[in-house]
Amino acid sequence: MEKYDVAIIGGGSAGLAALKQLSNLGKQAILLEAGSKIGSKNLSGGILYSKKPKKGKVTNVEQVYENFLDDAPLERKITKYILHSTSKDKVYSMDLTAAHDYQANFGYSVLMNKLNSWFAKQAEESAEKLGGGIIPGVHVKSLSWNEQTGTIILQTDELDEFEVKAVIAADGVNSEVAEMVGARKKFTSEQLYQGVKVIVKLPEEIIDERFGISPDEGAAHLFAGDVTLNHIGGGFLYTNRDTLSVGAVYHFDSLLRNPIEPYTLIDTLLKNPMVSEFIKDKVPVKPDIDKDLPQEEKLRIRYGVAKLIKTWYEIREANFSPSGRERLIKSGKYKDAEDIQSTLTSVQETMSEKFGVTFGTDYLEDEYGAKLVPDGKRCRMKKPFFKNILFVGDAAGRGIFVGPRIEGLNIGIDDGVLAANAVARALDKNDFSNSLGEFYSKSVEQNPYTIDMKQIDKDYLKIFLDAAKDVPRDIIGSRYGTVLKMMSSSTFRGIAVKFANIIGYEKLLPMIESEETYVKVPTLLAEKLGKSISSSYSPTILSIADRIANLNYNDDSLAHIKVLNSSSEFMKKMVILCPAKCYSEEGGKVIIQHEGCVDCGTCSEETEWKHPRGEKGIHYQYG
Amino acid sequence: MGDLNIAVIIKLEPDFSEGNVSYNPDGTLNRAETKNTLGPHSGIAAHAAFFGKVMYDAKVSIVTMGPPIADLALKQAQQISDAEELHLYSDRLFAGADTLGTAEVLRVGIEKIQQKMDIVFSGHRASDGETGQTGPQTAWKLGFTFLGNVISYSVDLETRTIRAKRLISLQGSPNVIEEVEAPLPVFISIDPTYKSSYNTISQRLAFQKYKKEAIQRANTFKDYLKVFNAKELGVDETLVGLPGSPTIVYKVERVPKSTATRRAEVIDGTDPEQIRKVVAKMKEALEAMVIK
Amino acid sequence: MAEKYRHLYVIIEHEDGELLPVSLEMIGEARRLLDGFNSKYSSNEKVVAVILGHNIKDISKQLIEYGADAVIYADDPELKDIRNTIYTKVIGQIAQDTKSLGEIESEYASEIKRPRYMFFAADSVGRHLSSTVLVELESGLASDINQLVIEDIEMSHQQKTGGKKETYEKTLKMYRPDFSGFLWTTILCLDNRNPAFKRDYHPQSCSIIPGVFEPLKPDSLREGKIIEFTPTIDEQDLKVKVLSRQIIKSVVDFDTPRTIVSFGRGIKDDPEQNIKLVENLAKELNAEIGVTLPISKKPYTVSQALDSKYMIPDRVIGTSGHKTSAMLYVAAGVSGAMQHVWGMKDSGFVVAINPDEDAPIKNECDVFIKGRMEDVIPLLIEEIKKQIQIVEA
Repeated sequence: MEKYDVAIIGGGSAGLAALKQLSNLGKQAILLEAGSKIGSKNLSGGILYSKKPKKGKVTNVEQVYENFLDDAPLERKITKYILHSTSKDKVYSMDLTAAHDYQANFGYSVLMNKLNSWFAKQAEESAEKLGGGIIPGVHVKSLSWNEQTGTIILQTDELDEFEVKAVIAADGVNSEVAEMVGARKKFTSEQLYQGVKVIVKLPEEIIDERFGISPDEGAAHLFAGDVTLNHIGGGFLYTNRDTLSVGAVYHFDSLLRNPIEPYTLIDTLLKNPMVSEFIKDKVPVKPDIDKDLPQEEKLRIRYGVAKLIKTWYEIREANFSPSGRERLIKSGKYKDAEDIQSTLTSVQETMSEKFGVTFGTDYLEDEYGAKLVPDGKRCRMKKPFFKNILFVGDAAGRGIFVGPRIEGLNIGIDDGVLAANAVARALDKNDFSNSLGEFYSKSVEQNPYTIDMKQIDKDYLKIFLDAAKDVPRDIIGSRYGTVLKMMSSSTFRGIAVKFANIIGYEKLLPMIESEETYVKVPTLLAEKLGKSISSSYSPTILSIADRIANLNYNDDSLAHIKVLNSSSEFMKKMVILCPAKCYSEEGGKVIIQHEGCVDCGTCSEETEWKHPRGEKGIHYQYG
Repeated sequence: MGDLNIAVIIKLEPDFSEGNVSYNPDGTLNRAETKNTLGPHSGIAAHAAFFGKVMYDAKVSIVTMGPPIADLALKQAQQISDAEELHLYSDRLFAGADTLGTAEVLRVGIEKIQQKMDIVFSGHRASDGETGQTGPQTAWKLGFTFLGNVISYSVDLETRTIRAKRLISLQGSPNVIEEVEAPLPVFISIDPTYKSSYNTISQRLAFQKYKKEAIQRANTFKDYLKVFNAKELGVDETLVGLPGSPTIVYKVERVPKSTATRRAEVIDGTDPEQIRKVVAKMKEALEAMVIK
Repeated sequence: MAEKYRHLYVIIEHEDGELLPVSLEMIGEARRLLDGFNSKYSSNEKVVAVILGHNIKDISKQLIEYGADAVIYADDPELKDIRNTIYTKVIGQIAQDTKSLGEIESEYASEIKRPRYMFFAADSVGRHLSSTVLVELESGLASDINQLVIEDIEMSHQQKTGGKKETYEKTLKMYRPDFSGFLWTTILCLDNRNPAFKRDYHPQSCSIIPGVFEPLKPDSLREGKIIEFTPTIDEQDLKVKVLSRQIIKSVVDFDTPRTIVSFGRGIKDDPEQNIKLVENLAKELNAEIGVTLPISKKPYTVSQALDSKYMIPDRVIGTSGHKTSAMLYVAAGVSGAMQHVWGMKDSGFVVAINPDEDAPIKNECDVFIKGRMEDVIPLLIEEIKKQIQIVEA
């Protein structure tokens, strides 16, 4: 049997950071990823933060990857962070940029496929020099221990079994490793958020103009109020370089109480007038082809129109992007920017004059995706290890959701570094007993991120309250009234926060994270104080069937999910709550069609849930 | 450098994929308008050679007889197999060769490689000529044991023997998988269903390492390329090209429309009433057999 | 003039004590050709069957019944498995064996250098064996032949004849379909009469597509010579060993289903969707799905699942793949190239869907539905749902 020092399971940001850190420390490691390529199975909102906590230290992404700020494929640096409360066509906006900047070096909007691929390239180069590396297309199906040596034997669907001294489990919120070894139970609905998102295409300079940002800036918009359809959570819209990440994240238990299709939730957000206005673009409308024309003529027109539209999109995207223009000019096909612009205009003219194409307003949706996110406050593993397996990131239930503060990637990366450090130490001492896990666990416990998952940070709270200082006190319900009064006074604030921390997140959370906070209060705010926004058009929303059809899959004839109780209440709700509509009810029994599965894990609580085998299943393009 | 020397004979062929292939209105191939590429079976042979590279650290060479533009096929094959030596045998004298004339050129060329070959691979057949003869004929001229329709193989470097599984299909019999063992050197014609499998971590890591190396090498493939004309190759001119080809293409004609073996009833596919009638006939046909 | 090249040698294939059908088909065609030849040229050349193996003396007699004039057999335990090197060398020996020639026909035996013609089967064994044998015998080979004619050919060829007009007597015209199935290429194996490189090329050889020619009816009264040949086998060549043989079932079974639906390049306007349409149609008819040869070359990009399931050689219906005699055969977007027709012509009721009324498939079907499969198949499915309830046998 082949032997290696360390196996990292899962090639997301956390796993890759662990690999890079181990390589930085001169340690050999193998990273196994089930997707056919790194990045193909990752999804994030998403914004990647680098933080500078007042107390304690974290390792940020730019410290793990030295050339991160120069070379990494980052979208935009977020410089504006605004929370909108909605009620029908009214919106009340609060600038929360200070909250976003709180203890932060930066926050960049990112697309996971590109970014993780870049992380992989850096990590792989270093890992290979030490006899390790990244192996895609491999799915770990089971593991066992060698009784005598305590080493771990890994079995996969694709390879002969092999042996390692330690494992770092970075296999995400639906960690099979955690379940296999019994390190923790599956996360329950109270501990999870379901996130759904779409990528909207919008040319770069139109984004600049529409969001009032320069090429070096970016905007993040959050939404609460009636867009949530009475669920606890909210919507988000982040500007990427030439796309927008638009999505919604809701408490999973809130969704179970009042099931609504995830795609309906995102559609509600898209149809909100402010969001509609954000995402709109000029789109060509294909002409109706005269039915009486001969077949050949009809085909000629169809192909001609399709080809021109494709060309128009390509030139237009480049026309509104400095790098795009540069690329076209360098290719020699165009003289300068004016040349590109005039070509675009003439293509437009040809489209309308020759083929009767008209131009309207709509939005262009590209990739649809969904995932579950763990709420660190409720489900972080207190001791994120089991024997010589260390759990990092989402696999350990560690994500930060505090009001508008959403962080996951940076925590996974920091966890990856801590785990790598612990394993490196164990390798040096040749000691893989529980002391490995205890050492790691301690470093995680003392970590500033963990502290934020345990206690309310009073300074963060102050920022949030300062942002809300213009809100009339009488608007907010009586429950909040006293609390807010106390919080506004700095004297009482200290006491109030200490008091709150004594009571603990657990007791406070139901009050804070409630329909009141996310739905009723914002809706009221919008109604009373909001501005009216009208949208000039009605976005054409894709059906869920079209959204799934547009995704890339590598079908496996073997179904990776098995329904255990086909007539349970929970499974019946899955018919509505599965983001990919994999479940249907026939004759009182719930059945699954696994081919459209996006591996989110929404149904995992009552199914025999596994990730698909190596290279199989969903393959995200943006992520 | 390992202890195994592998060569692959490849061919530049028309690219049949949609967007690249061009057909005349009568359904025949329009060669002038069709792009050229590494033949698909040659590509599979290159993958088989790459397996030898990954598993045994073999030195891989790729050879082809063709016009100057055939160097594209060599580049593509190098990208697959991480080859270190590329040969192009190109000369007007080679033109018009049938498989015997081609096999002679390839034989002489392979023997020009400094190391003695242990395994030579060829694809099952070319996608245009489709005779499947060049491989075995080159094998015979080289004096190597010929193994055809190979779907997997493994080499024992100690005993210098190879074990291969072959897929044999004969008319009217079910398919057979035959496992053979032979001393090196051998010539292998790769079956279209050949699959490499890399089952351990170290094999996967080696696979990735050599794959990256292959792409890098192919970027400067001309550094690895040797071009030979007839004189440089030192061939016997009476054994190559047209002079060395027993067979010639005498005529190419359209297949005469076969006398109709059935008389078809033509119906309009958009007419639901006529469709209904067809389905009724289909039902009859199925039921008739059941009664039998 | 010296009679250097005489007789037609047919290399026989057999398995488990039974002659393969193609062996009898080749003998049948050889018989017909030589009868015509002997009559036309007032000659007396023979159809000689060559068979190698172990314990094959008995099936050798059958070959006479099916039309051979003589059988040369080599029976040896080392010939039980077909090992290319050994078989090639033994066939080479037999082809040049004066003693056997003497038993076939005592006159000319010492002059004859090679057979005049040679036939092999175009299957896994014969394709490769013919190639190596023809290098050993230093002559020409045409593969996958489905028509043969013997004729005197008058021609001038810059290479073969140095530009002069020459008559090649008793030339075997070998016809093979090209990859598209629409063109027939005639291959000739001709001596070089060009003084610059004068050379004889015999035997004129070909590998023959199984199922194309008809065997003769066996005649137990036919007489012929059965000649034993003692092969010389090199010790070195014995080092090639067959370790095991395992029969495997084809992934695709075209024999059991009563209905087959096949598709060809007609899917090209929307390959992914059209294949799914065909799948739905097949599902309604409980049919297996076949493809034409061009489809197995993966000409269109479709999802991985459809690509690996359908665009594979194992699905091909035709000379390169399977033959079917299904009761109901539906050909959607299939033009009807020769090779494909060979694979399906024995079916019971044939329905073709094609927008082009000039497609050759029209001559091979019972109903020709004129239209695009995108339009026709949905209508068919609807109608089938109403009329046909497929009960699983």
